[in-house]
Amino acid sequence: MPRLQLAAVAASVVGVGVSIYLTMVHYAGITPACPVSGTINCEAVLSSSYAVIAGTSVPTSVAGIVWFGVSALLWGWRFGPVHLAWSAVGLLTVLYLVFIEIVRVGAICLWCTAAHVLVVAIVMIAAVMTVSPSGRGLGRGA
Amino acid sequence: MNSKRARDMRWAPVRRPVARTPVWVGPAAVAALLAVVVAAFLVYRWYTTPLPVKTPPGDETQQVIAQITSLPASEFESIGQGTANNLLKPVTGTPLTGATGKPEVFYLGGEFCPFCGAQRWALIIALSRFGTFSGLTSSASAADIEFPNTPTFTFHGATYTSQYIDFRGLETSDRERNPLDTPTPAEDQLFTKYNPQSSIPFVDIGNRYAFTGAMYSPEVLAGQSWQAVADELKDPNSVHAKAIIGSANLLTAAICKITIDQPAAVCSSPTIQGLEQKLG
Repeated sequence: MPRLQLAAVAASVVGVGVSIYLTMVHYAGITPACPVSGTINCEAVLSSSYAVIAGTSVPTSVAGIVWFGVSALLWGWRFGPVHLAWSAVGLLTVLYLVFIEIVRVGAICLWCTAAHVLVVAIVMIAAVMTVSPSGRGLGRGA
Repeated sequence: MNSKRARDMRWAPVRRPVARTPVWVGPAAVAALLAVVVAAFLVYRWYTTPLPVKTPPGDETQQVIAQITSLPASEFESIGQGTANNLLKPVTGTPLTGATGKPEVFYLGGEFCPFCGAQRWALIIALSRFGTFSGLTSSASAADIEFPNTPTFTFHGATYTSQYIDFRGLETSDRERNPLDTPTPAEDQLFTKYNPQSSIPFVDIGNRYAFTGAMYSPEVLAGQSWQAVADELKDPNSVHAKAIIGSANLLTAAICKITIDQPAAVCSSPTIQGLEQKLG
């Protein structure tokens, strides 16, 4: 497996961990470990009406667990268009969530940002592998 | 052999070198897209954030409260539920009574919370049909939260008297999220019993109905002054009236259920009777 694919699997696994932490914080009703300084305010984001999937009481982080979980499985397989499509879904979701944070809530949640960075990293890996399927130039082929 | 090679070389198609797309192009495109989109979000946020609110002085606040609590009955009649979401959920439990032994309406919220801010307009209007508030002051939701600076009032320090019901309104934190009112253990128990998610605002109407959240979006109040909202409420066709008075009518119908339709002047109106039937 190319190193880039391994990196994508690793990022996905870390993403599952971050999403599980945010889900546990939601159901336990506790404040996440996060500094509060002006714009950085996890609680403002996680206690907003956007912290749950619209029309449900399911925290948005559950969607994160699903996305990263599927991503981890996908990247264990040979790279193909489905990886790019799944990454595009992740990127669009991240853009929507960043819109919510910046425009609607006016605060940034560091834990959410960590998950967003992982999604973007996976998207970049997919972009690299689309251009160069062997990952040549950045990683060693299998 | 040599002539064959020469012929092959002569006829061999010339493969022109094709420039490969550099691997960095993909990630760079993603990064550029992100940078542009995030910058657009920041500009949009800056452009749409209302200017910091200045709460009106006491006499102006009293004028606004007098205006919103003396709306004609015909307006309540014509609006009905308006655009309000019926969040009222029937609950079972020992009827909740207040300090004077009358059925109690219990509210728990926070001054920072925009949904509490939105719901307070409707609560004040509905409760004023059964009694009288004093000591209400103007307030606004936090500036660093969704629906920032929502114009509203606070129940902290206010008193309410009525011959039909008791009202207890607690604001657990101020606009900067500093602790304010403390619920009793019994109120804490009530809060968690009907509200496992511990959401605010939480409203319990005599242990007959309870709900959390706001019956309309605080967006309705965004960027408005207290007086502007009060003026809009005079027009039954305004977005504000349909949302706020619609919510007040729902609350009024639920309160009429626990006062056994007293006072008749309020509870016997066709609109309230219709909503009471809807509530079940």
